Amino acid sequence: MSGETPMVLLPLGITAASALAVMLAAAVRGPTPRAATGRAAEALSVLGLAAALGSQLAVAGAAPRRVTPLFVFDGVSSILGAVVLASALAVVLLASAYLRRLDEPWEEIYALLLLGTAGALALTSSDHLVGLVLGLETLSVSLYGLVASVRTRGDEALEAAMKYLVLAGAASAFLLFGVALLYASVGTLELPALTAELSAGTPAGSELVTVAGLAFVLVGIGFKLALVPFHLWTPDVYQGAPAPITAFVATVSKGGVVAFLLRLVAAAGAVARPEDGEGLFVVLALLAGASILVGNLLALLQRDVKRLLAYSSIAHLGYLLVALLAGGELGPRAAVFYLIAYAVTILLAFGVVTILSRAEQEAGDLDAYRGLFWRRPILASAMAAAVFSLAGIPLTAGFVAKLYLLLAALDGSRFGLVGILVVGSVLGLYYYLRVVVAMLATPEPETAASEPVGASGGVALAGLGAVLIWIGVAPSAWLRILGIWLGG
Amino acid sequence: MTGAAWPLLVHLAVAIGLAAGMMAVSHLLGERHRERATGEPYESGIVGTGELRGRLSINFYVVGLLFVIFDLEAAFLFAWAIVAVEAGWAGYAGMLVFLVLLGVGLVYEWRQGALDWGRTRRAIERALAARESSRRPVTLAGVPFERGTPVGTKGRR
Repeated sequence: MSGETPMVLLPLGITAASALAVMLAAAVRGPTPRAATGRAAEALSVLGLAAALGSQLAVAGAAPRRVTPLFVFDGVSSILGAVVLASALAVVLLASAYLRRLDEPWEEIYALLLLGTAGALALTSSDHLVGLVLGLETLSVSLYGLVASVRTRGDEALEAAMKYLVLAGAASAFLLFGVALLYASVGTLELPALTAELSAGTPAGSELVTVAGLAFVLVGIGFKLALVPFHLWTPDVYQGAPAPITAFVATVSKGGVVAFLLRLVAAAGAVARPEDGEGLFVVLALLAGASILVGNLLALLQRDVKRLLAYSSIAHLGYLLVALLAGGELGPRAAVFYLIAYAVTILLAFGVVTILSRAEQEAGDLDAYRGLFWRRPILASAMAAAVFSLAGIPLTAGFVAKLYLLLAALDGSRFGLVGILVVGSVLGLYYYLRVVVAMLATPEPETAASEPVGASGGVALAGLGAVLIWIGVAPSAWLRILGIWLGG
Repeated sequence: MTGAAWPLLVHLAVAIGLAAGMMAVSHLLGERHRERATGEPYESGIVGTGELRGRLSINFYVVGLLFVIFDLEAAFLFAWAIVAVEAGWAGYAGMLVFLVLLGVGLVYEWRQGALDWGRTRRAIERALAARESSRRPVTLAGVPFERGTPVGTKGRR
């Protein structure tokens, strides 16, 4: 170990250590709920994530560095690691009021959130298939518990957790089998060496094994990102999980996997274009097109806001894939920028859902939002901003990100995908605006419980809203930082 | 073989003779009585109730977790012990981190009451309190629990 190596591991270490500390807080609590330890766990999580984010920003921009064969710390890992940590911090802040309303112990939820974040953080910096599996499993196993963590959610959450457990287990099996096949045919698990070997030509007779291995690995990744043939779990899990956990699934768990996909595509693109690696690109293009169309079409049918956002997340990951496929100078940058804008937007949307929800009765149905503008104008404005950003309307982060994405796709001559993207965006406009229409409708004289926003939730919402508008109005600073960190 | 084996045979004979002799002497000289509890399996313990083949709750989940903590800990420790010197301080630090993680898990389980299985005093108090608060039947370790049910000595600390 060289002297500076521990510094790049600091964010991961801090996150894992705070998970341990929260676990000890839960141990101090014992078997019955106690408000004091719950707040201590909350404070520990916020402080731990803030410290991890700070150290992540402090080490960002350093020269690429490899730590053990599993992890590499470079521009991609520093920027996506920051996205993961910032998203987790926002989730923890937003969850505070929701969790305090529970009449059951909630320290474990923070411990699992922190562990899942550590897994996603490990994913952002792994360019080794073992690192991928390790990070993914740490993340997934935390998510199984998190989805079912709120007992008062009842059968719905259990059903969601069960579905997620079974399907994610199957996806992990695919991934591991793919890794084994790749190792059998190529003899290495390191991503750069792997792609170099592949481009040098696989030994005769093992082409089928190699292709099958790559396909199986893609199944595992596609499942995590909820790309279309592997998306079936998404709406049920988004609907059944507690609202803050849904926000976590939608952002933190996606960020880490996108980082790995970025490395995979970059490695494949660097050595293999235009002929050899075209297979991978064709498969990814098919996944992207199907995700955009199916996600947007099925979202048209939804009446539940959480399900609607689930289908919209399928479509948005399809958009992101288009940027990845565009390649060239702009492609990865557009993809990372899109991920940042998407994370801010979806956190804001689920933040509003979280604040309006109680564990027993979440604000899922569109009727819960009817007349929200007249009852709670600030929350409704935040939701409207998020929805506009998802639809890609100017002055929001979503618009700039989509513009950048289109530029990258046109630059890479991906005209077919651009066409699908435009069709998808138009379809999306309809169901996004339905949410706004519901919020503008005349309120019914109902007695919906008016949940307080809470200090930390307010801070998080205000911060997310400010960043959303900031990216939308003046994106140049963000693009400059991206350029510096991603190089070139 | 025969030359070397005779001390062993003498030892065996002495051991058997000593044990048999002690039992024979105490049988001949010892006092005889026939009280109420003399024929019970445990003369000085709790009178057994119910069937021998009663159903027990083994708390599979807790057993599984404890297995992970202690058995895997031992397995990894053995693997590390073989290369402890070569692995150096980095390996030692890694092992310490691993042990701390498992230790925190154990502390958590302990405090949750996951290690109080069976009819310990704390579990009984909790079950009684639950029965006072709700008049539903209370089970202790999977067995219906009533106030008259005899209670083992396990939990007396």
